[in-house]
Amino acid sequence: MKNIIRCENIVKTFGEGDQQCRTLDGVSAQIGDGEFVAVMGPSGSGKSTLLFALSGMDTTSKGSVYFLGRDLSELKENELADMRRRQMGFIFQQPTLLRNLNILDNIVLPSLRDNRGNATGITRKAQDLMRKTGIAGLEKRDVTQVSGGQLQRAGICRALMSTPEIIFGDEPTGALNSKAAEDIMDIVSEINAGGTAVMLVTHDARVAARAGRVLFMQDGKILSEFQLTKFRKEDLDSRTQKVSDRMREMAI
Amino acid sequence: MYLRIIRNDVWRSKVITLTIAAFIIAAALLVSLAAVLVVNLFGAIDSMMLQAKTAHFLQMHSGDINTERLLKFAGQNGNVEEFQILEFLNVDGSQIVLGENSLVDSVQDNGLATQNERFDYLLDLDGNVIHVSDGELYVPIAYMKDGTAKRGDTAVICGKEFKVAGFLRDSQMNSALSTSKRFLVSENDYAQIRNLGAVEYLIEFRLKDLEKLGAFEAAYIAAGLEANGPTVTYPLFRMLSAIADGMMIAVLLLVSVLVVIVAFLCIRFTLLAKIEDETREIGVMKAIGLRVSDIKRIYHAKYAALGLFGCLAGFALSFLFKGILLENIRLYMGNAENASLALLFAIAGVAAVFLAIIAFVSLVLRRFRKISPAEAVRFGAIQEKPAGAGRFTLSQNRLLSTNVFLGVKDVLGRKKLYATMLAVLVIASFIMIVPQNIYSTISSADFITYMGIGNCDMLISIQQTDHMERKAAEINEAMKDDDSIARHVVLVSKMFEVKTEQGTPERIKVELGDHSVFPIQYTKGKAPETGDEIALSGINTDELGKTVGDTITLLLGGKEKSLTVCGIYSDVTNGGKTAKAIFSDNSAEILWYTIAAEFTDSALPETEVEEYAGAFTYAKVAGIEEYLAQVYGSTIDAVKKASYTAVAAALLISALIILLFMKMLLVKDRYSIAVMKSLGFTNSDIKRQYLSRAGLVMILGVLLGTLLASF
Repeated sequence: MKNIIRCENIVKTFGEGDQQCRTLDGVSAQIGDGEFVAVMGPSGSGKSTLLFALSGMDTTSKGSVYFLGRDLSELKENELADMRRRQMGFIFQQPTLLRNLNILDNIVLPSLRDNRGNATGITRKAQDLMRKTGIAGLEKRDVTQVSGGQLQRAGICRALMSTPEIIFGDEPTGALNSKAAEDIMDIVSEINAGGTAVMLVTHDARVAARAGRVLFMQDGKILSEFQLTKFRKEDLDSRTQKVSDRMREMAI
Repeated sequence: MYLRIIRNDVWRSKVITLTIAAFIIAAALLVSLAAVLVVNLFGAIDSMMLQAKTAHFLQMHSGDINTERLLKFAGQNGNVEEFQILEFLNVDGSQIVLGENSLVDSVQDNGLATQNERFDYLLDLDGNVIHVSDGELYVPIAYMKDGTAKRGDTAVICGKEFKVAGFLRDSQMNSALSTSKRFLVSENDYAQIRNLGAVEYLIEFRLKDLEKLGAFEAAYIAAGLEANGPTVTYPLFRMLSAIADGMMIAVLLLVSVLVVIVAFLCIRFTLLAKIEDETREIGVMKAIGLRVSDIKRIYHAKYAALGLFGCLAGFALSFLFKGILLENIRLYMGNAENASLALLFAIAGVAAVFLAIIAFVSLVLRRFRKISPAEAVRFGAIQEKPAGAGRFTLSQNRLLSTNVFLGVKDVLGRKKLYATMLAVLVIASFIMIVPQNIYSTISSADFITYMGIGNCDMLISIQQTDHMERKAAEINEAMKDDDSIARHVVLVSKMFEVKTEQGTPERIKVELGDHSVFPIQYTKGKAPETGDEIALSGINTDELGKTVGDTITLLLGGKEKSLTVCGIYSDVTNGGKTAKAIFSDNSAEILWYTIAAEFTDSALPETEVEEYAGAFTYAKVAGIEEYLAQVYGSTIDAVKKASYTAVAAALLISALIILLFMKMLLVKDRYSIAVMKSLGFTNSDIKRQYLSRAGLVMILGVLLGTLLASF
């Protein structure tokens, strides 16, 4: 299995002198092609910082991150932007759609940037994705006229438009009720089953239980890794139990 | 998609969008108007001067004239294309009655002339050369503008009856700033009344090469030809015609620059507030891989659309307004031939405004680079750091009510935020005060002391008549015996030859007499106090290359007299080339006498002025107010119009900005307002806090603006 992302001994510090704080303290990790990795840990353990560093949204103080073999620290701002737009997808905790655009426009926005000529094809693909994620018919709706779960689905559609190598999720279910969260995670699992790698940051054992591998973090370090078997929906409860037990063991 | 972004954004912030649009419209309107006016003004002047074949060099002269010698000079000088000597029959104002109105109070040198055959034509209001029939009179356009005469009136000049057949444009003497006014009559009528007035000669030249005007002027002086009156050249005719409307254009341009600045401040403020509001969205866009330039384009779209709309609307509106402003130019100078050029200039000006807006928005949007996607996604808005008002604490406050205190503290704590509003208010007060200051300055009596005229109540001038010396002495005696005259002075102007270092002859007019009675303002040095001192006007200082402390040598009846330059002053009278000295002289020919007087009771000068005008009919007597009104009246009017426009514009701007600002502040502060309401503050409490903020900034703004304007 080839690596999509690999990081070596990365350090991220904030502040200076006495005030200095190491949010990432020598982290090394990798995510393979089609793999589903969940990152867990208490607040302030550095989970989100790791996600931002791996996706090129934030720089590191030390160490290197490689995406498909390319050292991110050597890429310019625009090259990083192009990389995120074409090869990565993002799902955030809060609905992150633009208020001035309707649902459909929000989904097609990044793709139109690269392919204006093929607007019809792009729209068709977006509508296809909307149907798959269960939000068909909301194309013309304003972002304030749909539910949080529907917004998150629209966010997923946007992330999938470029057929990315990997999807990053930062607490994608954090702002949703349990039913909506379950539906969203079903979609994520389905995307992963289709061969797209996934990296999720979460507090929720039930979300992490869908991953093939769980990383536990504390104080900017990876404390341990937990390998799970291939995901099947009917095993979700038992997998969740396993993850919770492991968390308790580690006193997280 | 951009269209939808723009539409949604405009819909969401109607007031703000409207305000910015209004400023852009105003800026485009003013720039476009100024461009149209400039082109039309100079175009109209040029086409009028072309149609009239204005003289390139005009020398006025009264008294004996040696035509032979002038003809010979014209024939010998290689640069002369055409040459003519015209007569201008000076008629006293009291001898001219137009309809019901007498010109007795006019300070202008009114006189009769006939149509010229070769050049310097007098034109009708369509720009055609007038062909006048016997019994007809054409009146200078200025008397139509001020309502003194109308077509069909019966006019009586020196007892002879005329019918006002129309009005004339005089390319040389149209402007109120030129003191002579020509009335046009037929050759026959002229011959009949020729001996009822004083004939003055206009010696006029058209040159082959206008570039060599300076050399020609020098040659004319060197030849020692007739020259006891003012000399006026082509460029000066042009300037005289342009000055009144030119000042209005300058004010328009100044205001438009300020409006553009205000528009920029508004845009900056709105954009920064919007960026702050949408930091999270911008961060997200960066996170999902949109380049900074892509995001900029989304924000740019609205302002490009707004700018385009505003500029087009302003441009269109300028067509509505230009008629009013062009009225004066059209009346005095006619239509410009290059009107399409005006359109081009206006388009260029408006395009410049548009590009400036785009460039400015781009500059403000550079801020996007600083937004970290990671932080934006995690925290949303960038946290505002309160600063500055640390020691200003509520618990120690004894002076202000809590609400006022909170308002003041907010202003002190968020100085950067309020700086924009402050800047706008400072500029607005500046816009209001400066034109008002200019207006009150130039319309005040003191102003004339900066222009070469002493601050007196009455000016009497004796010129172009015989026995001037005796007549001046007569008035002098009368004034000495008159209790109502507090003080007076008799000044005599004479022409002297100056000995220059290069040996080229120069002649200057020197006003002799006691200059301490009605002092004028000297830009350098002081008034002449002894017989060997002389003060020079600014233009003469430049031409002679002298400054305070230098000596110049005059020729008095063939003998040299050395004088020390003791002062420099600016002067608008007599073409600006004057000098003031105190020595006595009997050698040179007298050009004219000026008698200035101040009344003991200066409250009612009109009756006194009338008395003198009645008693000394050979002299031109004018009250100073009237003199100023007639000479600078149209200039003052133009500035007055512009300054009122500026006040209205500034008030509108301030009101809009404060409205806009408070609206944005309320949106920005919704969280803290909600907190305060939850703590039990009433709506009126919160209102009071916001009023204190606005009040404090307004007071500061007006104070600073006033200070700035007074420098």
